[in-house]
Amino acid sequence: MESTKLRSDSGSTVEYTPPASPSDSYYDLSDGDEEEYSTITHSSTGRGVKLLYSKSKVYVHPTPSAKDNIPGFIALVQQKPPPHPKDESGKGKDKRTPTQPSPSPSHGSSSTSSPRIASTLLLAWLPESALGDAYNTYVKVDLANEGGDTPPRQSYLVPPPPTTIYVPGTSAVGSYAFAVPVNQIFSLLVRPPSLGWWWGSVVINTRYGDSFPALFFHDSECQSTIAQSRKRTKANFDPFGESGDMFWGGDEVLRWLRKYVRVEKSELEPSIYLVDPSADDLKSFISAPTLVNRATGVEAVGGGGPSMDPLTRAIKEVKWSFLEKLTRVTRFSRRTVEDILDNPRVPLQVRRLLKNPDVQSLQDEFDSARLYLARWAMGIAEQSDREQRKIVWAGKDAMEMEDSAVGEFEILDIETGALKLDSDRRKPVTMEEWDRWFDPTTGRLQVTVDEVKERIFHGGVDPAARKEIWLWLLDVYPWDSTRDERTALMNSKRDEYVRLKGKWWDNVDRRNSDEYWRDQKNRIEKDVHRTDRNIPLFSGEDIPHPEPDSPFAEVGTNVHMEQMKDMLLTYNEHNKGLGYVQGMSDLLAPIYAVMQDDAAAFWAFVGFMDRTERNFLRDQSGMRSQLVTLDHLVQLMDPKLYAHLQSADSTNFFFFFRMLIVLYKREFLWDDVLRLWEVLWTNYLSGQFHLFIALAILERHRVIIMDHLKHFDEVLKYVNELSNTIDLNSTRVRAEALFYRFKRLVEAADRKKSGANMTGLPEIRQRRVGPEPSEAESAIGGAASGRAAVGGGVAAKNAADRVVAAAGSGPNISEELRTLLDRSVIRVQGDQS
Amino acid sequence: MTSRKKVLLKVIILGDSGVGKTSLMNQYVNKKFSASYKATIGADFLTKEVLVDDRLVTMQLWDTAGQERFQSLGVAFYRGADCCVLVYDVNNAKSFDMLDSWRDEFLIQASPNFPESFPFVVLGNKIDVEESKRAISQKRAMAFCQSKGNIPYFETSAKEAINVEQAFEVIARNALAQEESEDFSDDFPGTININLDNDQSGCAC
Repeated sequence: MESTKLRSDSGSTVEYTPPASPSDSYYDLSDGDEEEYSTITHSSTGRGVKLLYSKSKVYVHPTPSAKDNIPGFIALVQQKPPPHPKDESGKGKDKRTPTQPSPSPSHGSSSTSSPRIASTLLLAWLPESALGDAYNTYVKVDLANEGGDTPPRQSYLVPPPPTTIYVPGTSAVGSYAFAVPVNQIFSLLVRPPSLGWWWGSVVINTRYGDSFPALFFHDSECQSTIAQSRKRTKANFDPFGESGDMFWGGDEVLRWLRKYVRVEKSELEPSIYLVDPSADDLKSFISAPTLVNRATGVEAVGGGGPSMDPLTRAIKEVKWSFLEKLTRVTRFSRRTVEDILDNPRVPLQVRRLLKNPDVQSLQDEFDSARLYLARWAMGIAEQSDREQRKIVWAGKDAMEMEDSAVGEFEILDIETGALKLDSDRRKPVTMEEWDRWFDPTTGRLQVTVDEVKERIFHGGVDPAARKEIWLWLLDVYPWDSTRDERTALMNSKRDEYVRLKGKWWDNVDRRNSDEYWRDQKNRIEKDVHRTDRNIPLFSGEDIPHPEPDSPFAEVGTNVHMEQMKDMLLTYNEHNKGLGYVQGMSDLLAPIYAVMQDDAAAFWAFVGFMDRTERNFLRDQSGMRSQLVTLDHLVQLMDPKLYAHLQSADSTNFFFFFRMLIVLYKREFLWDDVLRLWEVLWTNYLSGQFHLFIALAILERHRVIIMDHLKHFDEVLKYVNELSNTIDLNSTRVRAEALFYRFKRLVEAADRKKSGANMTGLPEIRQRRVGPEPSEAESAIGGAASGRAAVGGGVAAKNAADRVVAAAGSGPNISEELRTLLDRSVIRVQGDQS
Repeated sequence: MTSRKKVLLKVIILGDSGVGKTSLMNQYVNKKFSASYKATIGADFLTKEVLVDDRLVTMQLWDTAGQERFQSLGVAFYRGADCCVLVYDVNNAKSFDMLDSWRDEFLIQASPNFPESFPFVVLGNKIDVEESKRAISQKRAMAFCQSKGNIPYFETSAKEAINVEQAFEVIARNALAQEESEDFSDDFPGTININLDNDQSGCAC
């Protein structure tokens, strides 16, 4: 780094001196000064540019998913002026870069600032990952500038940004980095942060009609912006920028540029800032409602005139990946568009976007978008959600007063907030803590089982302690056992495993000629070879297959896959009636990976299967009854959502089938699956807590589902694609809050019912959700009007009480729903299957 | 329905577990093959836009769990299907033997208006595996398909992308014919469309 960073005061190597004050900054350099003006003392290779300003945490959002956001720096750098200054200083010549003619008729324009300066400046965006050693320099310059008016006193040299010019719609996807000479910038489209569209952003439009990807300023992560914002507040109690809006990172970029070039805010287009505009440019922005967009040559027509909102314009100009994706998805009818347009719950941005004539024609041309829009809208919601938690200067109260489509959520969030435990109780249980709960001599548990379960329910288990604790959670060890008893138990379990396995292992006849057994083996093997192969333990094939006639004889196998196969075959000996069912290998793999001991893993798996066997019954009765219970639960807890699902033919809840049958194994990442399962195994609140997890996931997406998904296939696709995007911790907490709310509802209904029965009122089953929603429904699903949410749990409770009161005899609490209050697990009776 | 500008063709892919349903679908839609697809649980679908005789149609390809235990769930998504693809593994005789029951099960659950003429396509997959492992000859498979009303038959390899494109082209074509005939009979019940008979694969009438 030292090689690229040269100090201005280090002697003869550096001739450049920063101007004395910002007021007479570089503008004032006359052509005459040019000869002496050598921006940078170059290293021997002649490379390196001067970093004047930089700002961190400026992101490109290549896809609607926040996961894909690329953090980077926006920077203003100065390079050595063109080698033949005299060629350029001639009168009447185009003052822009000599090599490329400007497409705009701005010759002889009254451009006010020095084009010579502008041509040495580059506005660049570079991803953090591309900076290498220069990263520290960027950070230093960013922080050195905090609120200051001058570029850093020291000169910082950095490698020149990539000169590749991003051409929208062509390649460059993936790299995104760009640097554009300031004199080639035609305009900046500047969108300050707002509540709906959370991040402020800047889009650079060049004189050649290109636009660069929108740069989003994540101000809450940017140290210098936070510092600058604070400084403003301290200095004049004015946290707002010059425009009277909240100060944000984009203001800084404008401020940098204004030091060197003229930047004019368009009067017709408040979000457009013209850079070094020609007289013609200025005129056209005052006199006629002309297009700003030279990029696509799209003339603004009809309603899409100058007042077109900045977002749609940005999309047109940037050709966001959005539009590409819009063209891909499934069905979309004009009617749907209209539905969305009329729906006040749809984020304003989406509504505006859909009104854009270009987008509308796209919808006609291509099949569409509803799913994509849905996911996109969710992305925005999540982003602003996260922001609301972090934000420092926006009053939380103000946020809550905002009219929100989320409605009922807010209440839930407040309830969720009330569940906050001190952080110690959210920490996983370690082996040390676990050991402390036992009598050191007898090895008997000295705290109550409930206390243990509560801890694990809220905190989970430390990975190093799982091998031990899971054996308890999965009923291998009795809670009242002593250490000696457990040792003896495990020994006999090991013997029993060997005995069970011997039933097929030692029976060569059976292995060779029992058709059923061979079929089972083939099924199991097929699935084991495609279960969690991305986990190192199960990856690779490093041993030859034991049987030459196996379909996997050629690819080979590995010892852990063989163990899994053996355990699943042996489980058939333990549970004779069931037979292998797809999904069982998914349940076994994490247990085996944690135990890494076949006998212990086998018995833990047996414990898990005892809990979940009903998922795999031949008649599917176990799955059906869970889907029915979920159906009732949604009816009770969220009648509006339920009514929507009815209208979308989705009340079979089939879209939760995968989640329920393998207990979210396919929906969460590996580590999260382990955490979720140990939480579920506690039965701390309910033996069927997994259904509250389902409800929590559904509630999280209810607005999207209700606004965008109109058919079963869309709901299914949307839910299927949530896989690996669900945040476990918030889902757990929300599920817990939903459980408590459920419990209150049931209790209130019961109270009401006993009262109603006394006065002889008839019982009305609430099952039907007709076209006219009852008051009860509007009370609970209708958001209880966001504003009523202040008051938290109390408000929620009132809402709950109102459901009961308004409905007269209250909701009918089905038997299925009552099972949810039971902490015992529903097991298959006897050995019927 | 006929006024709908875009046509959505719903195609259901059925067959025993591990015959390559997910792989075939991904090869066709995403031009990708992975040896490590997980066993499908529940159901999912992919969509693809294709041109059939200058008509732009969207194919919605439904991928399902292969274990027969899950067959009863089919009713949730078999309805409204325009074509059913039956897949077996040419190296696995049992998966071939099951084709008939997959077909029957589908017809029961989807209950199309004219089960006799409902379009099926049979795919014998995994022909990339060495010849010595082969369990079902092409001749035998074709005899079966003929006996079931001239079901079109393709031998495919999702892994090597052999015949996948061709097979799905026929699937799309037959599904579109089905969709149009259904539309027609929906719109004008009682009238007889003479072209209808020509559209069908022949022997069913």
